[in-house]
Amino acid sequence: MSLEALAERLRPLLGDAAVLTHPVERHLYSKDAGLRRTEPGLVVLPTSTEEVAAVVRAAADLGVAVVPRGGGSGLTGGAVPSEPAVVVALTRMDEIHEIDAVGRTAWVGPGVINLDLSEVTRPLGLHFAPDPSSQSVCTIGGNVANNAGGPHCLAEGSTVAHILGVELVLPDGEVVVLGGAAPDLPGLDLRGVVVGSEGTLGVVTRVLVKLTPNPPDVRTLLMEFDEVRQAADTVSGIIGAGIVPDALELMDRKTLEVMEAFLHIGLPVDAAAVLLCETSGHPAAVAAEAALCEEVARRCGARAVQVAADEAERQVLWKARKAAFGAVAQMAPDFYLHDVVVPRTTLPEVLDEVYRIAERHDLHIMNVFHAGDGNLHPIMGFDLAEDGVRDAVMAAADELIAVTLSVGGALTGEHGIGTEKRDHLPKVFDEVSLDAQARLREAFDPEGRFNPEHVLPKGSRCADFGRPLPEGAWV
Amino acid sequence: MTFPELLSSLSSHAIHGAPPCDLTVRPKSPEVVADVLAACSTDGLRVLIWGAGTHQGIGHRVDPDVVLSTERLDRIVDHRVDDLTLTVQAGVTVGSIASTLRPHGQMAVLPEEEKAATVGGVLAVGASGYGRLRMGPVRDHLLEVLVATGDGRLVRAGAKVVKHVQGYDLMRLSVGSLGSLGVVVEATLKLWPTPRASATVEVAMPPDAGRAFRPQAVLQTRDRTLVMLTGTAEEVEAQADALGGESERGLLWPDQPRPRDGEGLWSVRVPPTLVPEVVDRVPGEFVAQHGVGIVEAPMDGPTAAAMREWLEPLGGVVVLLGGHDALYADPGPWGSDPAALDLQRRIVARFDPDRVVNPGRPAGGI
Repeated sequence: MSLEALAERLRPLLGDAAVLTHPVERHLYSKDAGLRRTEPGLVVLPTSTEEVAAVVRAAADLGVAVVPRGGGSGLTGGAVPSEPAVVVALTRMDEIHEIDAVGRTAWVGPGVINLDLSEVTRPLGLHFAPDPSSQSVCTIGGNVANNAGGPHCLAEGSTVAHILGVELVLPDGEVVVLGGAAPDLPGLDLRGVVVGSEGTLGVVTRVLVKLTPNPPDVRTLLMEFDEVRQAADTVSGIIGAGIVPDALELMDRKTLEVMEAFLHIGLPVDAAAVLLCETSGHPAAVAAEAALCEEVARRCGARAVQVAADEAERQVLWKARKAAFGAVAQMAPDFYLHDVVVPRTTLPEVLDEVYRIAERHDLHIMNVFHAGDGNLHPIMGFDLAEDGVRDAVMAAADELIAVTLSVGGALTGEHGIGTEKRDHLPKVFDEVSLDAQARLREAFDPEGRFNPEHVLPKGSRCADFGRPLPEGAWV
Repeated sequence: MTFPELLSSLSSHAIHGAPPCDLTVRPKSPEVVADVLAACSTDGLRVLIWGAGTHQGIGHRVDPDVVLSTERLDRIVDHRVDDLTLTVQAGVTVGSIASTLRPHGQMAVLPEEEKAATVGGVLAVGASGYGRLRMGPVRDHLLEVLVATGDGRLVRAGAKVVKHVQGYDLMRLSVGSLGSLGVVVEATLKLWPTPRASATVEVAMPPDAGRAFRPQAVLQTRDRTLVMLTGTAEEVEAQADALGGESERGLLWPDQPRPRDGEGLWSVRVPPTLVPEVVDRVPGEFVAQHGVGIVEAPMDGPTAAAMREWLEPLGGVVVLLGGHDALYADPGPWGSDPAALDLQRRIVARFDPDRVVNPGRPAGGI
């Protein structure tokens, strides 16, 4: 079959060690951090743009589907193939090619780990702003594919605001560079479209990232509340006061209990919710903003506000936030991490609804999320060994989406559509709008070979919404 | 008077006034815009989109059969004050958005000094304000669009929440597309709280952006260099003191440089580290945005051509913002073809197959 033919053709080009055909080796690439698993037909590990282009051209010749893959920490099945495909794992393309400390940019390989980049640029006083909780394992290429977020997106924007250019291997094997260090290059902003396209438009082989100056000062506050609504009011109150903190993260009681059992750092487990609020920048700004944030929190009913005394204390507070997903095991052996966005003002009512949904389906639930953006991340814990639990989890997820859309929210804030949310897209876009999305994809990939069946539901492009032909026209 | 002649007779960059064509349509709804474009596609008519006319100097000249004015798409559709989103129709002006938001202590990230420009126009050309050093470009603040495609479909993309990754980013694709996909008829913008304080500090040359922490802008003109500061009162004061120099309250944006006879107004866009070298080479007045990589300067054709020859190999472009007709022929408004031009054509063909909206105007003559 064609996958075997493809493997034969690629061995001399990439070397035997970079072409994985053994079932055990391939199995390692059968899953991301979500729930779905399929066995990839073939996995390749290229080390250069030329090798990627050779793989893509060979796959085009043989009509094989292509699925790019980064660190595998995605949550929506984005790197899990939907049909027999070659998985192009980009983890070996992890070189930082060039750093321009004055221009605050760097060209990096897609396989560079997010946190590694910020560690390398730290001595230059710079960092890569997007900071998903998976940042110690996720790759820049994966961040680009999903337009990843993180706590600090509140003030700094999602990944797309930090990507100046990409080198992309198009589905026909052509290599193009989109965007660059100069602003507003003429022509369509194809760079902006490639970010968040989940591997459906080509393979990103190099990324020009924008680096952000490290703040000279930072202050992190932990605000405790007896009611979730008070925390939500504080979020609106702070922004209403003219401050956009770096991060505003909410953790509910269940999260605090689970984290405390995991970390033993003295979290207030009897609070209904805490807000982790961080402000950074010029020392004068930080002091003034932190004071204002605290004032708002107290006005909204905060029972206590702790300030991290030093960097060590700050790191502990962030550990409580970022390790949440690892700590879920305290609650249940399996978990499903969701990602939806609601208008910030609807947070209290939506949270109430989230708790009701979990109760209805008898699922453990903890909420730890980017409150400043209204970006909810309910984590449902369960044991897959229990009968019918998968159905309950999926039913709960569908109900969560229904609630989100009923208040005018979005299907996903930072995890992407993948296969997880694909069939929900027609709930947010009409046929004409979905068709437009499919047209864009078709312009890049007319054969539909890149990450097929991902992002857009089947049939998105089948309708003909062109203008009617004039009467008497010959067809 | 032919259309190109009329354009030339208007001022070089900020071309105000009535749209110049025998047939002007002023649709009152997105649906009618789509209907007009569908009809024009059927009849093979060339349509020029006209907002306030402030950016008509950008791109190749269009000789239209029909002008589609967005002036009656003037509705502020929805302002969700506490969610920091604003939905407006294309013909709403930057100035009226600012006055709508001001009482709420909010702002949209749009060009500060282009009060007359419409949102549709700003998005179509991708014009950002001086504050982009701190705030980012206009395209980073567009949450949702409704586009009437060239062949008359109404396409919605994005969502009315401040953060999302819901489908392909047709929002960013429409910013700067100069109508090649269609007409943005409605847009939802992400809003920001207005900074509590601001100041403009004049500093000694050469500009040293590194001395201020994340200023709103560092702007250099022939006479002086200004650092624009925003934030809390405490921060602005501390930063202004640290910079030394003369300080005034508020953001005092410099005037745009004025071309003399025979000159056009050009936007030189380069990797930010090249700005000092560009400044050394521009012949007359200029406004340079340090850290951003834009220098706007009046130049004659040969000077702009030389600048382009020097900068294109370094990743820069030299784009004409406005000027007399001869400049559009030589050295031309855009320079070399943009990257992935074939791919761009394939995309445009799926939104405006008959090329009725601003045909030939974008880079590469698409």
